[in-house]
Amino acid sequence: MSLKSLLALVAVAVSALLAAPLWAQDLNILFKTSPSIDRLRPHAGRVGLSVLVTDAAGKPIESGWAEIRLDAPKPGGFFSTDIPLVEGTRLAEMRLPLKNGKAEWQYEWPIRGEYRLAVEASTVDGKKVSKTFDITVRESSTKWLMLGGFNLGLFLFGFIAGRIFTATKGSAASLIVALLLSATALPSAVAQISQALEQTVEATLTVEPAVVGKASRITWRLDGGVNVPSKGAMLTLVITQLEEGHTVFAIEKLLVAGEFALYFQFVDGSEHSVTAVAELPGRNPIRTEQRVSVTAVEPPATAALPAMVLFLFVIALGLGVGRWSKLRVATR
Amino acid sequence: MERTVARWLGFAVPERISFLIKSSIFLSICGATLFIALASSYPAVHDTLHNARHALAVVPCH
Repeated sequence: MSLKSLLALVAVAVSALLAAPLWAQDLNILFKTSPSIDRLRPHAGRVGLSVLVTDAAGKPIESGWAEIRLDAPKPGGFFSTDIPLVEGTRLAEMRLPLKNGKAEWQYEWPIRGEYRLAVEASTVDGKKVSKTFDITVRESSTKWLMLGGFNLGLFLFGFIAGRIFTATKGSAASLIVALLLSATALPSAVAQISQALEQTVEATLTVEPAVVGKASRITWRLDGGVNVPSKGAMLTLVITQLEEGHTVFAIEKLLVAGEFALYFQFVDGSEHSVTAVAELPGRNPIRTEQRVSVTAVEPPATAALPAMVLFLFVIALGLGVGRWSKLRVATR
Repeated sequence: MERTVARWLGFAVPERISFLIKSSIFLSICGATLFIALASSYPAVHDTLHNARHALAVVPCH
């Protein structure tokens, strides 16, 4: 092979390799949350998420599809989050139609950390583009405040104990009463678990067995007897955590051709409801509901170890400071 | 109480050692209590303190 031919072959190979990325650059993906990302907090209600796919001129594409994958923050911090089994797992995976370049859904973030949202958009004429977004959700300040208050309580508990243990004469009785009183000031709460099933009229809604830490497939399908208009049906799908009565995921008025499926991870080991309402022209909305009893999985005992070490360290610190304060007074 | 124990055993330990022994017992009890309250899976305890676990940000739950 001559040098010219070799160079021509290399040039063809390089241009073929570069063709796909250059093509992809014709499209752009924009991602937005409402409220803005810096105001996102875990368990703070539904957040609106939207993906906008535009062409090179910044104009939204007319139609297409967006493959969306949402992954939970990776584990790795010294302290675990309050739901460690969710860390590093897939939270949702779905294929949404782009309407005027846009796909929208709602979601409640379960834990703090850096989420990864991968979007792969494709147009009807076969153009494709993909982009990954890192979304940082900071912990709620109320939770940090609660943790600080709890540690302060433990410190005082240790402080009082330190003074009692150092006492050489009388006066301990009142401190013992104070110690007992401070021990009763621990917080309390509630939870539950149950099971149920639901009906199907003109549509079928199926949910794979739900286990915390693993995404379940949710499928909605119109029954064969229902005529789907050519432009499709408008589907609204809502997932609600029943214990606290808040919505954790929602897609509203999604244009579907008689069937829709997604993978969704139920992060709370309690009962949920999945409701689908399909609107078809000239007839009443078709409502389907499923009750889902999510199987809770206990986090490994090692996940609690750092928190336990912290709490014991704070008590021990209180003990030391209590003893020091007692001895300081005694030596005066 | 300390004096009663010393009299019963027939010997007394230095105050510093006594403090260490008492502190160790105290910390062990605290550790066990905290573990049962915040890390165990006993349904009654877990269900009662479920929200408290989540509220503390660093205590794992499900």
